[in-house]
Order: sequence, then C-alpha cells, then structure tokens
Amino acid sequence: MTSAISVSKLVKTFGATRALDGLDLEVATGEVHGFLGPNGSGKSTTIRVLLGLLRADSGVVRLLDGDPWRDAVALHRRLAYVPGDVTLWPQITGGEAIDLFGRLQGGLDPRRRAGLLERFDLDPRKKARTYSKGNRQKVALVAALASDAELLMLDEPTSGLDPLMEAVFQECIREVRAEGRTVLLSSHILAEAEALCDRVSIIRHGRTVQSGSLTELRHLQRTSVVARTERPVSGLESLPGVDDLRHDDGQVYFDVDADGLDLVLRHLTSFGVRNLTSAPPTLEALFLRHYGNEEVDNGVSSRGKPVRS
Amino acid sequence: MSTRLVSAGSTTVGGTAALLRFALRRDRIRLPVWIAAGTFMVVTQSVGSQALYDSADDLAAYQASVGSNAATIALGGPPVGLDTVAGAVAFDISATVMLIAALMAMFTVARHTRADEEAGRTELIRSARVGRHAPLLAAVLLSSAACVAIALTIGAATTASGLPALGSFVLGASVGACGLVFTGVAAVAVQATGHTRSVYGLVGGLFAVAFVLRAVGDIQRSWVVWTSPIGWAQATHPFTDDSMLPLVLCVFVAATLVAAGFLLLDRRDLGSGLLQPRPGRPAAPRTLLSPLGLAVRLHRGALLAWTVGLGLLGLVYGALAESVETLIGENDQALMIFGNPDVDQLVDAYLATTFAVTALLASAYAVSAVLRVRAEESGSRAEPVLATATSRAAWLGSHVAVALLGSALAMAASGITTGLVRAAQTGEASAFGRMLAAATAYVPAIWVVAGVAVVLVGLVPRQAQALAWTAVGVLLLITMFAESFDWPQWVGDLSPIAWTPTRPLEEWTAGPLVGLLAAAAGLTALGFAGFRRRDLITG
Repeated sequence: MTSAISVSKLVKTFGATRALDGLDLEVATGEVHGFLGPNGSGKSTTIRVLLGLLRADSGVVRLLDGDPWRDAVALHRRLAYVPGDVTLWPQITGGEAIDLFGRLQGGLDPRRRAGLLERFDLDPRKKARTYSKGNRQKVALVAALASDAELLMLDEPTSGLDPLMEAVFQECIREVRAEGRTVLLSSHILAEAEALCDRVSIIRHGRTVQSGSLTELRHLQRTSVVARTERPVSGLESLPGVDDLRHDDGQVYFDVDADGLDLVLRHLTSFGVRNLTSAPPTLEALFLRHYGNEEVDNGVSSRGKPVRS
Repeated sequence: MSTRLVSAGSTTVGGTAALLRFALRRDRIRLPVWIAAGTFMVVTQSVGSQALYDSADDLAAYQASVGSNAATIALGGPPVGLDTVAGAVAFDISATVMLIAALMAMFTVARHTRADEEAGRTELIRSARVGRHAPLLAAVLLSSAACVAIALTIGAATTASGLPALGSFVLGASVGACGLVFTGVAAVAVQATGHTRSVYGLVGGLFAVAFVLRAVGDIQRSWVVWTSPIGWAQATHPFTDDSMLPLVLCVFVAATLVAAGFLLLDRRDLGSGLLQPRPGRPAAPRTLLSPLGLAVRLHRGALLAWTVGLGLLGLVYGALAESVETLIGENDQALMIFGNPDVDQLVDAYLATTFAVTALLASAYAVSAVLRVRAEESGSRAEPVLATATSRAAWLGSHVAVALLGSALAMAASGITTGLVRAAQTGEASAFGRMLAAATAYVPAIWVVAGVAVVLVGLVPRQAQALAWTAVGVLLLITMFAESFDWPQWVGDLSPIAWTPTRPLEEWTAGPLVGLLAAAAGLTALGFAGFRRRDLITG
C-alpha cells in the first residue's frame, strides 16, 4: 500500500452549489500532506467525504484501501479526526470528551494522553462550555494524537491556537511522522504547511489546481527583487519574465520568473548595484498566484494545470 | 445593524432601540406565529362552543358535568360563568392560551439574552456602543410588546367570533398579563444559569408549580389560588366579572421581577450565570464510554425533569380522584348519564382518560428527545462521533433508545404515583396495578409519535423539527377538540393516542396495542434506513 488517500474526479453538489468539482488528491502513506485552499474552497467537504459523512456524487475515493462510505466504521478504527470547528457538549468536561473520543475510535494510550495534556497546557476538569475555541481544539487534538491511528485527518487544527501552542503542535506532528503515520493537514496558515508538509495540494473552487512537493511548486515561481542602484534603472520592462515593476525613492521593485533571473541580474549590474534583496517565493505567493487577480493579468492559465509528482 | 448600534448613547441602556429593531427583525416570523397560534385556539374554542351549546339545555348539561368536575377544573380554571357560552369558552381555553403566552415570553427573553450570550454574540454586540443593560431591556420590551399584541389580537378576534367585546378584551388582557409575569420570571432565570436549556427547565418548572398551585386553589376554592400568577390572571373572570384589578398584581410582579433581573445582571460576568460551574471529572467514567452512555448523559437532565414532572402530574390526578368520587356519588344526573355503574370503576375510567393527556406530554418529550439527534447533527457534535468507529445506526439508535425508554419511564412514573395515591385512598393494593397498567397502555401510542419523528429525522432532516412539532400540535388539537366538537371520526383516528383502549370503560384488547407497536417499529426502521443513506448535515 503506497497511497493512504486516493481521490480522483470527486464531485459533490449541494443543491445548485457544486462544492467539489472534479477534485484530485493523492496522499502517500507516511507523509504529511498539506491540503491548502481559501475558506469555502472545499477542504472540509472533501474531508467529510473521506470520513463517509457525505456521499460522493461521482468520482473515485479510496481511503486506506477501503471505500469511505461503505466501510466507514472499519476505516474509522484506523484514523483520527480533528474538525475545523470543534464543538463539544457543554456539560461534559474536556477530560471526559478525550476519553470518549479515544474509546470510540479504538482506544488511546493513557501515558501519551497525560503527556499531551501537559504539553498543550489543558485543564481536563473544566466543562466544555467554559473552554475557548483554542481549548476545544486542544481537546480534539489530544484525543487524536494520543490514539495510535495510522492516519490523522486534521481540518485547520491550529486556527484557535496561540503561537506557543502552534509550536507544540508542530512538534507533535513531526513525532507522528517519525512514527511513520500519515497526516492530512488542511490549512490556510501557510507557514504551518511550509514547516510541516512533505507535499501539498492546493485547491480552489472544489478543484485541485496544483499539487507536489514545495520544491516542485517553488521552481514554477518567481523571485521578488528589491534593488538600489547608483543610476536609475531603465529597460527592465522589456526583459522577459519581469512583472509588477515600480520605482520608488531610488529603489526598484519587481518580480521575475526563474528563467528570466539571470538576464535581469546582468542587466541590473550595469546600473551599479549598491543593495539587492531577493526573497524566495513563499506559499503566500503561491496562493496569490492562484487566488489573486494577477494570474489573469499575467496571462497565466487560470485553469491551472495540476502538477503531479 | 452595525452602524445603528454605534449611534446610541453611552448610558447602560444605550443601543436598546437598535437592538430592539434588530430583535423584531429576527423574530418577524416567530412572534406572529405564537400570537396567531394563541388567538387561533381561542377562536376555535369560541366558534366550536357556540355551535355546540346552542340551547340552554346543552349549556346546563355542560355546567353540570364540567363545572363540578375536579379534573376539568384542575386543567381549566375557576368554574365561573359556566351558564353562558362565553364563560364556558373562557373556562375551557384560558389556561392553555396562558401556557402559550408564558412559553412565548420565555423563549423570546431567553433567545435574545442568554442564548446570544452563550453563543458569544452578545460579546460582539456589547463591544459596540451598547450599554450593559441594553440586551436584557430590549428582550423584555420585545416580549412585553408581544404580550400586549397577543392580548389585543385575542380581544379583537374573539369579539369578531361573536362573543361580548369587553369580556373578549379582558380575556386577552389576562393572557397577556400572564405572559408579562413570565417575561419577568425569564428575565431572572437567564441571570441564574449560564445555559439556555437550563433557563427553559427553570421557567418551565416554575410554570408547572404555578399551574398546580392554581389547580389546587381552584378545586378547594381557597386562598391557595392567589399564590399563583396564573390564578391572578384567571381571577379577572372574563365575560362574568370583567375585573381588571387582579392584572395590576400581575404587572406589578412582572415589573419587580424584571427589576430583579437587572440587579442580578450587575452581579455577574458576561457569559456566566450566578451559579458558577464546579470543576468536573478529569477522566470519563466507564459508563460514558459508549454511544449509549453518551446519549444517556446528554438526555438525563431532561429525562429526569420530565419523569418528575409527569410523576407529579400523576400525583395531582390521583389526589383529585377523591373529589371526583364524591362529586359523582352526589351527582345523580351524572350517575344516570353513565348508567349507574360502580363509582370506583367510574373513577378509574376518569383517571384512565386523564392519562391520555399525560400521554400527550410524554409524546412531546419523546419527540424532543428524538429531535436531539438533529440538534447534535446541526451543532456539529455528531460529526466527531461519527468520525470514530461508531456506526450511524448505533449513534441514532442510542438517542432513539433513550427517547423510547425515557417516554415509557415518564409514563410509568405518572402511573406509579397515581396508583400509590389511589391505593392509599381506597385501601386496595390492586388499584396500584390498575393505574400502572392504564398509564403504560399508552406507551405504544407514544412510540408511534416518536417513530414519526425518527422518520422525519431520517428522511427530511431540514424540515424535521418544524414538521415533528406540527404533528404534536395536531395531536394536541385532536385530543382537546375532536371529541367535544364532534369532528369527523377519521380526524380523531389520526391520533395514535385515541387507539389505545381506555380501561375499564373499554374492553382491553391486545389488537390495537400490537398494531401500534408494529407501526412504531416500521416507522423507526424507515427512519434508520433514511438516516444511513443520507449525508450528514452540518451547520
């Protein structure tokens, strides 16, 4: 078994709304896979189909070599899930909820549970109605991480956590990966995906627009350059691959494709470079390219060819 | 609403006007439905009674049978003015409509205060220029306005239905005044507890206490009736005395309670109640660690309340039986009507009939327990459970099991209390068994109603809540009106409760009960099949 999750051409409609419109997703066993997309792009819907909570209209969905709708109960013994918006029963304490989820999904390790409570700094005696969003999220995280599920499905698991707790979370995910378990991590926090994920899939409007390792996606991207020169720069606009060019206070700002970088640098040196900053494209830039308006302006295909690894 | 909120002043009630407009908008369907429902009941009663008692003889018979019957007095009100059709209408319907007004007030106040606070919406609103007291004030004003509206609508509609105008408006005002008192009760209750459901439990419980007090007072014709706000509201005696004086007491008490609500509001933090939650268990007990364990835990508060409530109701029914005995024994006319049977048997028959009302309440409980499934589902609490190795059937089954066994338990509780009282009254131990059997005979009928709710949850989840409560409402109308107004037989047959043989007046046969059980099983199975095939609906 090499694929923990394999989805192809998945379609799910709600009335007139086409929430998933031919989505593809491949998650290899043992990897941490980032599932990225803006709110409303279909991340949670995909996860709910994978959990057998929603029934796919069409497409092929395989989860741990099973059918998530038909084999739901058997598959759920092997996975743990953290919803994006954790709602608990107001009158039940955090500790009780952790034990309940743990038992229902097939047991959890009490020592690991105690360790996680400490690391996440969670008081298990409080009733859920007094918990903040972050604390409710910790309850679900502790239950999932204390299990020995081979697949963790985490839907924006850190949206309520403070930076300190997010660091703890990242540490936990690295441990999970070291144990050879698989993680599907949906997120729109890009730094998190950059820090944790082996590969990512980016979706928009219920369709996968790109997927691959961060390195693979990065080479498609451009570099942002800020340069201060002795003489005002001219002629950049005529070079291939240069965009968003502007001059300001003796500095020049622009983006350039990887292919055009060499030529641009040669051109710049002729004006006497005194200072040069270049930034590698962040995942934010990837996002902007897919969800911002410039993709249309730049003539980049808005259909977005999926990149397969 | 956001821009309007900012325009308010900086006092503790600043922003009330904007909140009130917003609340009116949120409730633009809800409140008219409450008001229309209350008005509809009075008008139906008025039209029906005018058709039924078209001769003086009919009315005299009515007065003889109803006006001296402790059970109808317990459920209705003071037996005043029963020699007129209008007085009979007020007697028959005022208590029910007052319940509607009280519920309307409770839901309105809690919805715009504690429910918003619990959901975190109040925090957002209060961060704008909205005073500390503004949300409660807006809720109280909205509820009061609704009470005035239901008073006027009942007055106008009842006048239009052909009853005297003055009495019609006094009846409306009594209903509205009862609503005002419970507006005040709710204003205090929402401060006491941090949880909307507990507010409903608290106010509902207080209404029940007030109702029992007035029932006792009306039957004994004693001062006890003056300990109950429902008693005050009914003391206007519409169409007979038309005295508005008792309503002053209602308004005064309502105002005092609202003032107390504001005082208590100042003594607590946003989001919390006066009763602070204690720390709970750090780990789950074994009993919680299964779908059924979870369901029992989630339902146990409501189940306990309903069981105690129906048990108390059974106690009241049983206690009233002695007055019934005396009345029937003394009333030759009544004995003639019933063909001179054994008085004990007649009392048993009266009690068995009153269990039909209890069965209606137990059905309401069963429906509310089944609908908990939808609340769990749309509140996103079902999702994490169904993402574990818990099958849909096991999860739905756990809630349905609590609904079925819980409603049977509540019904049995009323049979047990009535039976105990009856056994003590008559000195015959066998009375206990007879009462328990008469009460539990309704269980299959209750399960059919629960089965309807399961089908709705399984097949039309989004409409399930509205349709299920509509069904309970129809059941209520049939139980209240079908027999007395000679509605066609098939209408009465729609109610599974009517299929249950009423012992000992009717011969006990297993047939209807087996039929009802089969129907309940079929409906439940259909609902399960639907639920397993459909998408989980979140949000």
